[in-house]
Amino acid sequence: MVQNEQAVALLPLQEKVGLGMTALDDFTPLVESHQQRIYRVLLGMVRDPDAAQTLTQECFLRAFQKRASFRGEASVGVWLLKIAVNLARDHRRSRLSEFWHRLTSSSEKVAELEQRLPDPRASQERVLLEREEVAGVWAAVEKLPTQQRAVFVLRFVEEMSLEEIAEATSLKLGTVKTHLFRAVHAIRQHCKGGKV
Amino acid sequence: MNNHLSEDQITEWVLGTNEEVILRHIEICPVCSAEAEELRLSLSSFRHAIHATAERDQSFWRSQQLAFRERVSAREWYPLHWAWVVVMVVILITAIFLTRTPNAPRNYPSDDADNALLQAVQGDLGRGVPQALAPAVLIAEERNEILRNHVRATRTTSEKER
Repeated sequence: MVQNEQAVALLPLQEKVGLGMTALDDFTPLVESHQQRIYRVLLGMVRDPDAAQTLTQECFLRAFQKRASFRGEASVGVWLLKIAVNLARDHRRSRLSEFWHRLTSSSEKVAELEQRLPDPRASQERVLLEREEVAGVWAAVEKLPTQQRAVFVLRFVEEMSLEEIAEATSLKLGTVKTHLFRAVHAIRQHCKGGKV
Repeated sequence: MNNHLSEDQITEWVLGTNEEVILRHIEICPVCSAEAEELRLSLSSFRHAIHATAERDQSFWRSQQLAFRERVSAREWYPLHWAWVVVMVVILITAIFLTRTPNAPRNYPSDDADNALLQAVQGDLGRGVPQALAPAVLIAEERNEILRNHVRATRTTSEKER
């Protein structure tokens, strides 16, 4: 019985749609397996844990509502990322969210992001240096245009291939490369400028 | 002359270029190598910072799933909710319509009154002189009568004298 449930959960979404198995219970394993990745991407794009949390829920809600339109041309993961990227873009476009973002960007929530470092056993000097680097990159990423930020986050946070990024952002491969180059160049300029 | 890599070339190296010139230069030039490595480490630290932030405990992800389920359930109730609202509005309008007091009946003139009015109009039309000139007609008739009597008296006197 349990094996059957797992087998159903692992079925591709398009097959579930074909079998009429896209009820809420069938969708839950999909949420479980992808929510952390979606949250990470949204966090990288909106730089606000609360907003990333809300947008993650919204992403799965939209996916659930549009599940019938999923044709299986890309993987479910890429399809979800596409929804997430669009949500993050709309979120940034919203003037209201921009206002709140500015108001809270200096809050503890954002500061907390910069404090999170991979190795707590690193030397004090190294920790401080890394914090400074992370803060610099965060600040630079925040200034990037939405498309560039999306491409940058998908490449450097999720380590996706350029082809996958092109699918998730609905951009051409050449455009992805250009965005990526400009994003890294801008971040390098920003970080160098901060040190001078 | 500057023999180091350009900004663009260092960016290309970070993005994983296959250009032999750049790869070879990074290998032999400690300045460019340090610069490129610094950028690579900054990006790597950024990646680790986001991954570390997204490492939440199980209760967080469970609450996310619950919130998602609740929102789906709430959305599924929306059509029923609106149907319920429409039904309530229809009932309310019907109730208002049914309980509204009818307008007080107007006092329409009866058939008798109509007939009386018609007769009065016909009487007015059949009259030779408008009602407003009736006193003048009486005065004229009285004057004519006096004149006739006078003529008659004059004629009688003249016949006697003859």
